[in-house]
Amino acid sequence: MDLIPVITIGVAAVLTALLVIFSKNTVHSALWMVGNCFCIAVLFLLLNSQFIAILQVIVYAGAIMMFILYAIMMLNLRENGEPATKKSLFIFRMALLILFLICLTNLCIGFSPLALKGDMVTQNMDHFGEVNLIANYIFSEGLIPFELISVLLTAAVVGAVYLAKKE
Amino acid sequence: MIDYLIIPVIKLIVIFGVCLFFIAYTTWLERKVLGHFQLRLGPMRVGYHGLLQPIADGIKNFFKEEVIPENADKAVFLLAPIISISAAIILLAVIPFGKPITLFGKQITLYLANPSIGVLFILGFATLGAYGTILGGWSSGNKYGYMGGLRASAMIISYELSMAFSVIAIIMLSGSFSLVDMVNAQQNGIWNIIRQPVAFFVFFISGIAELNRIPFDMPEAESELCCGYNVEYSSMKFALFFLAEYTHLFVFASLVTTLFLGGWQGPALPGVVWFFIKTFAVIFICIWIRATIPRLRYDKVMKLEWKFMLPVAIANVIATGAVMALLG
Repeated sequence: MDLIPVITIGVAAVLTALLVIFSKNTVHSALWMVGNCFCIAVLFLLLNSQFIAILQVIVYAGAIMMFILYAIMMLNLRENGEPATKKSLFIFRMALLILFLICLTNLCIGFSPLALKGDMVTQNMDHFGEVNLIANYIFSEGLIPFELISVLLTAAVVGAVYLAKKE
Repeated sequence: MIDYLIIPVIKLIVIFGVCLFFIAYTTWLERKVLGHFQLRLGPMRVGYHGLLQPIADGIKNFFKEEVIPENADKAVFLLAPIISISAAIILLAVIPFGKPITLFGKQITLYLANPSIGVLFILGFATLGAYGTILGGWSSGNKYGYMGGLRASAMIISYELSMAFSVIAIIMLSGSFSLVDMVNAQQNGIWNIIRQPVAFFVFFISGIAELNRIPFDMPEAESELCCGYNVEYSSMKFALFFLAEYTHLFVFASLVTTLFLGGWQGPALPGVVWFFIKTFAVIFICIWIRATIPRLRYDKVMKLEWKFMLPVAIANVIATGAVMALLG
């Protein structure tokens, strides 16, 4: 794999991610986030996983960002000042960030290609993104977590509706 | 060198040239057919029966004054037509126009690319095209444009679902995401429209809704929004939105042809000719629908999707799966 495109796209992904945070305008933030999704899709493409790349585009850049944009436009957040942030939350946020990084490191070590068995081995990395391989993995070995995640998502939707209906 | 550079570049120029020519003349076709449906002649002045009208329109748009409203968000305002047109034109790359042909001893495929995720590529980038509409409406700083953009995003979010679910039934039948494989799976003469009539209707209706055409043209309902999302656009920027709309119409028609009408397959005539005959038949039906059915009310459009189309599409996927499992 060539390193130059990976580094270029990686830098672009980080830059767009930073712009998401530092844009004053909410819609601009959302747009930079679409750009960020695209950079990540290209990274997946460079890893030979076309399917995951296009899912990234359809699900995140297409559907979810469309929802977010719709919400932003519905609330008409066109010109607004900086929302007041509480200084006291700073330590909590830093703690959360560090916890997240620790979890991420653990995840990276646990899921290194050497630790995987079955279809998802390094020899198969060239076909990693092929639909058959992903489907076989999700619907056989990964079936229980997959179903649990769908239950979790449904629960989240039900919870959101309940919270919205309460008032 | 020849295989990797020259042939693809020639194919690129030919495919995009031919398609853009056809798309420009789709505008002429629409005006002409609509005219005859309404017992008038349509464009008649420029050339024989108005045949040069698209060129005249292009030149006219080119020389119009460019207006950017004062309270527009300038960067996004300029970006929106670009997103719209580029997300539309990129879709032409994966459409299979015909069987591979042999020219000067070389086999040439009549498509630019055949990714293993062809149909997902089209679904994905077709949604991205809607960003042009939404952002165009939002950035022009106009109430009507804003309402149009808002409606566009609501439409896309809803109708995308039933469209994807109707495509899943076709994917199950052909066992592949690639559009070329889908055409080949219909080689036995039984087109998918016969095997999947429900998917066809759901796909067709949600396609017309995604194209924002009458009876679903919520984002640009003239009588309510005085032209909607593109109300502040002038000159070539307006023309780009217009062109993107017709490119989407063309891509939608060729997608219907590929998924449901057997693609380039047909007797006697060469495949490419069959492809364009079927595509223009679908475009004609779209214009026919536009001439016949009045615009639906906004809440009825939403009800139609969430209470009828989406459940039907999901039931169709389940039924297809059950039948496939029973027949082995």
